[in-house]
Amino acid sequence: MEDTKKAVYKKPKKKITPFSIVNTILFILISIIILIPIWKVLVDSLDAAAGYGMRLWPAKFTFGAYKMIVSRADLYRPFFISIGVTFAGTLVGLILSTLGAYVLIQWDMPGRNLFSWILLFTMLFSGGMIPTYVVMMDLHLTNTLWSVILPLGINVYNLVLMRNFFEGIPTSLFESAKLDGCSPMGIFVKIVLPLSKAALAAIGLMFAVTYWNDYTNFKIYITDNKLFNFQMKLRAMVMDNDLPTDDGSISTNTIQNAAIIVAIIPFMILYPFCQDYFVQGVNVGAVKE
Amino acid sequence: MLCKTCNTEIPKKATRCPECGAAVVKPHRNIYPIAIAGAVISFVGGFFPAIQNSDASKKFTPAYGFMNYEQPALWYLFMLLLVASVILCAVKLEKFSIITTVLAGVVYAITYNNICSLHGAPGMENGLAGIIVIVGTIVAVIGCFLDVNKNAAERKRKNGELDYQYTGNKTIWQRIYIYRGFYLMFLPVLIFVLIFNYLPMAGLRYAFTDFISGQEPTYVGIKHFVDMFGLSPLSKLSNKHFMAAFKNTLVLSIIKLFLNTFMAVIISLLLNEMRQIHFKKTVQTIIYLPHFMSWVVVASIFKMMLSASDSGMVNQLLMNIGLIEKPIEFLTSESTWRGVYYMVNIWKDTGWGTILFLATLSGISPDLYEAAQIDGANRFNRMRYITMPALANTIITVFILNLAKVMNLFESVFVMYNPSVYDVSDVLQTYIYRQSFSSGAANYGYTTAVGLFRSLVGCALVLICNKASKKVRGRGIV
Repeated sequence: MEDTKKAVYKKPKKKITPFSIVNTILFILISIIILIPIWKVLVDSLDAAAGYGMRLWPAKFTFGAYKMIVSRADLYRPFFISIGVTFAGTLVGLILSTLGAYVLIQWDMPGRNLFSWILLFTMLFSGGMIPTYVVMMDLHLTNTLWSVILPLGINVYNLVLMRNFFEGIPTSLFESAKLDGCSPMGIFVKIVLPLSKAALAAIGLMFAVTYWNDYTNFKIYITDNKLFNFQMKLRAMVMDNDLPTDDGSISTNTIQNAAIIVAIIPFMILYPFCQDYFVQGVNVGAVKE
Repeated sequence: MLCKTCNTEIPKKATRCPECGAAVVKPHRNIYPIAIAGAVISFVGGFFPAIQNSDASKKFTPAYGFMNYEQPALWYLFMLLLVASVILCAVKLEKFSIITTVLAGVVYAITYNNICSLHGAPGMENGLAGIIVIVGTIVAVIGCFLDVNKNAAERKRKNGELDYQYTGNKTIWQRIYIYRGFYLMFLPVLIFVLIFNYLPMAGLRYAFTDFISGQEPTYVGIKHFVDMFGLSPLSKLSNKHFMAAFKNTLVLSIIKLFLNTFMAVIISLLLNEMRQIHFKKTVQTIIYLPHFMSWVVVASIFKMMLSASDSGMVNQLLMNIGLIEKPIEFLTSESTWRGVYYMVNIWKDTGWGTILFLATLSGISPDLYEAAQIDGANRFNRMRYITMPALANTIITVFILNLAKVMNLFESVFVMYNPSVYDVSDVLQTYIYRQSFSSGAANYGYTTAVGLFRSLVGCALVLICNKASKKVRGRGIV
């Protein structure tokens, strides 16, 4: 009673070569090297016994440091400033890049090349740190949050990226909309923006990362410590040991580590979902036909 | 002139071909680069002193030029005329630029005359401004008659690369009217660029002044540049910090660039060999991760990891294995700082750098590999003859893109250095920052001069890279 053998499609077996084993091990090692510092910070931030040495698991588990950050005004205030600046800045950045990019794809517009040169020249040459600082001072923008929101809002590189995205939209769409009596602003709002959601996401995220991680502009333009963002606060805490007076239940080290985690947590959560947008942004920037 | 569509002769001023009705196109014209260069030379000359102290030890104090001259209106007029010359050349109206250039020369002569009658005392000598402005004006005027691009343009036209300029059916005013809405849309962008990019450029004039915070700037000619490069005997000693910063900028960013690119290429090659998709995706997610951390965060993490106290993980580890006796001061000793800096950069940015390489690698057709395999090529040969040639272009592209940013090095150094390692870590931007904001009576004039030098070197680098990029991949970076 032999079963008749059926011709079954057999998936070709993956060959496990020595190379692939070594390769896999290598990448596990690389991943560990990348993750260890982050893991160490996370562990130490949860360890009441102050994370000394090479411990990779908290000895005395505590949320004390996080509780402290949430409850103390001088610690959560910078966090909210960071969030506010990030949202406002991303909005400004997106508005300027989309408007600029939309104008730059009007090839037949008189002055289009001049505008393009005005923008591109800023990539070639810049006034530098001190003249910019003097301009900000003359405009009375130093020590206001405008000084950190506005200058980063105009980013020619992102604008050109956006233009590259926009160029992918077929021109016939614009023409038919124009024939139907749509105004330039109407075309922009009703056709260009809805068709470039991916670009808006990619470039919006790039702006958001820049604003969230901004330290240089705060350092130069802001001296009032009420307006510090979280990066500034973190820097002060870790480097200058400028720490909130505590009751001794939580060690300095634990609070510093907790602050680092708070500074990276928004993008660590957001990032795995948006990874493709980030990658897309990079690729459009450099390898465009 | 012949019509392009039907080859009939068209009368000179016609806008349409009388035979077929096609719009007449004008031949493309060339830019006159020598004329532009001349105007720029004159422009630069305006910053130099017209007359200065002839005493070698006190050169440039006092110095008189356009900028401190009692009527700044003449200086602005001079600059404006020369900017107009450059723009006129750029829009191919170089005949008109002759007028503006010559006018600029006249403005200089009037100013020089005024300065001499006011300040021309014994002990003063002529500065460099006169010669530079005269040479610039002559070059600019002669340049208007020299079409140096003639042959290149002819060749392009023959090869069909350069076509005739299409003028369209509508006049320029009609087109401006059609696009009126767009000008309004560009206005916010223009305002931002003018305020945050172009106003600071006008501020570069402080590089030729002594400008103590809170006081009015006073003109000193090119004193700061003489100090920077140690050209006068007095500044021989004081310029060593600047030179060290310049050297460090080049060394740190170029070695960093080489290491990061090299590591990114290796990792993407190996990652490309990975067949398990999920594992590959996970690895990618992990190695991209550090890119999203700010430099402040990265510096904080590594300061703790590398600390010499007993909370420093790396030192503890090394001591436990028995490699070292006592903890190493990684971040505060000159011998280790650079190494640590490169390592941290590799940790942070290598993963992100692989994106472009991986995109290129995934674009290589698998058929090529299969064919090579059938022909008996082993893994190494396939990499050597298929992967590397495909990747070479991307490597050069990435390299060029990053080389243009060499002079921008700031935040990564700023958050990681400390006074004990200034000699090996101080870069131009951090030097400017410290000189301006950390010392008591900072001379913004000097730091602006350093910044101007940085901008100029950066600009030259971008232009070179742009040229290289056009050669390699047929499109520039700006």
